[in-house]
Amino acid sequence: MIALETRLLHRSFGSLAATQDVSLAFEAGLRYAIIGPNGAGKTTYFNLLAGNLRPDSGTILFAGRDVTRLDVTSRAKIGIARSFQRNNLFSDFTVRDNLMLACALRAGTTRVFWRPMRQTTSANAEADEIAARVGLADVLGTTVRQLSYGSQRQLEVALALACQPQVLLLDEPTSGMSPEETARMHELISAIPRSLTVIVIEHDMDIVLDIADRIIVLDYGRVLEQGTPAEIRASTVVRQRYLGEPAAGFSGGAAP
Amino acid sequence: MMASRTFIRRSIGVVLIVVALIAQAMASFFAQELIADAAILAIFALSLDLLATCGLISFGHAGLLGVGCYVFAGVTVLMGGSPNLAFLAAIVAGACVAFMVGLFAVRTTGAFFIMVTLAAAEMLFSWGYRSPTFGGANGMGGVPRLDLTPIAIDLNDPRVFALTMIVLCIAIWLLLELVVSSPFGRTLAAIRQNPSRVAALGGRVFLYRLAAFTASGAIAALAGALKVQHINFISPDLVSWFVSGDVLIAVVIGGVGTLVGGPLGAALLVLLKELLSSTFGHWYLFLGIIFACVALLMPKGIVGSLLDLSGRRKVRAAGSHVEPSEGAA
Repeated sequence: MIALETRLLHRSFGSLAATQDVSLAFEAGLRYAIIGPNGAGKTTYFNLLAGNLRPDSGTILFAGRDVTRLDVTSRAKIGIARSFQRNNLFSDFTVRDNLMLACALRAGTTRVFWRPMRQTTSANAEADEIAARVGLADVLGTTVRQLSYGSQRQLEVALALACQPQVLLLDEPTSGMSPEETARMHELISAIPRSLTVIVIEHDMDIVLDIADRIIVLDYGRVLEQGTPAEIRASTVVRQRYLGEPAAGFSGGAAP
Repeated sequence: MMASRTFIRRSIGVVLIVVALIAQAMASFFAQELIADAAILAIFALSLDLLATCGLISFGHAGLLGVGCYVFAGVTVLMGGSPNLAFLAAIVAGACVAFMVGLFAVRTTGAFFIMVTLAAAEMLFSWGYRSPTFGGANGMGGVPRLDLTPIAIDLNDPRVFALTMIVLCIAIWLLLELVVSSPFGRTLAAIRQNPSRVAALGGRVFLYRLAAFTASGAIAALAGALKVQHINFISPDLVSWFVSGDVLIAVVIGGVGTLVGGPLGAALLVLLKELLSSTFGHWYLFLGIIFACVALLMPKGIVGSLLDLSGRRKVRAAGSHVEPSEGAA
């Protein structure tokens, strides 16, 4: 079953075509990694998928339904959630309040104004559960602005998970992280249930090769190549365009 | 952290209530009028701060206050309706007008929102200024007070009126404390911090802002209905942008987004006005200097600064537990 599909998706900024006729189908339950050099249009494509940007032309289908015209809020409601490349959190709130808010928004209980949020037991329990899953259980009471950068990145992903999406879009979850933090994020992504379709933009090739079922290589806004990790590793086009000379190997992904 | 900030805010509120009740019990006949004035301004400030919870600062809140003034005066004086009915009508009208203005206004933020709300309030002002029905610029007297004699409260007694205003202010404060701690209120606070993330999590930012603006309009109109019955008089001056400025000063001095800051600022404003105007000719000048100093020294207002102070002490007590955050790549 196809969870998400784009057909001839196109978006330009002035004379720069950031996404050019991208037609891709994401099968439900698989994990996809989008790679490509800086400026390849990865984040633009993500913004189009999540609804932060409108395409100039083309169609986006979610479970067979045309969602091209839906904005980011509507897409979040029907099951497409995203994390951001830069931490995009509620920095005056504690970790618990961040998670509870995300859960309450998903559950549709945020129109309740006659009862304190902390007494909402379901959201409390759900926040505990997600925090445990992503390794934030120890810092639930910490205000976000006092949280380490790595923990903020984890919360970034946790907020998207709290939406209980069918399709999860992760935009460079390990960007700016230390090796230890990267390892923790790697674990976190590996532990995401198989019921979700995960699409991740990532520069760390170790993670990409480990978690991805399929890899999509973007270049100049176009799909350069797509396939299983083995196929991408063997692709001469990719080696030439993205990885440089064949001898360069896979470990030297471009720095963010 | 958040719980302790809430605790400090509420403690300040309790202290303020105790001070207000003691002052009211001891106040002279004339001072009762000042206390009632401060309490009504405090309710008005609470309505503005509810809106600030979602990050919107209005510079036309006198317009919504004015809706309450004109509806209450219109229903009682012109139509001969009962004050109690007029009071309800004023609140409903405030909500309706805020909803309609909000449909346009809350699509904007920052300076644009300030301009849209100011423009809407000035429209009501210029109408009131020329309206012969309400006496135009001269205003109109004879506005009656709420009739609470069935429950043995005579609002025409200044002491009773002042105390009733304090009690109403407390009731609205408690209501809003509940609202800001609710899922709805927390969503408003989240919108103030990061509206785009709320949208990405599936929250309709526009609807929450519209709801906050509507509720704020209802409370502002309630304050307006109290204002005209306090002075038994209506004039377009009640809708002028001076009034919007006064309430904004009260909230900023007290602390935006703290709820209790608005009433504190309102009390200080009324007190300072009274002290300065009886001593100096150009008292607004001195008032301005005092408030400029407070704003410069305490950018988060009195309550906001107190909260930060206690927060800092707590972080220091926690020692090196806090890791420095690195910049994003």
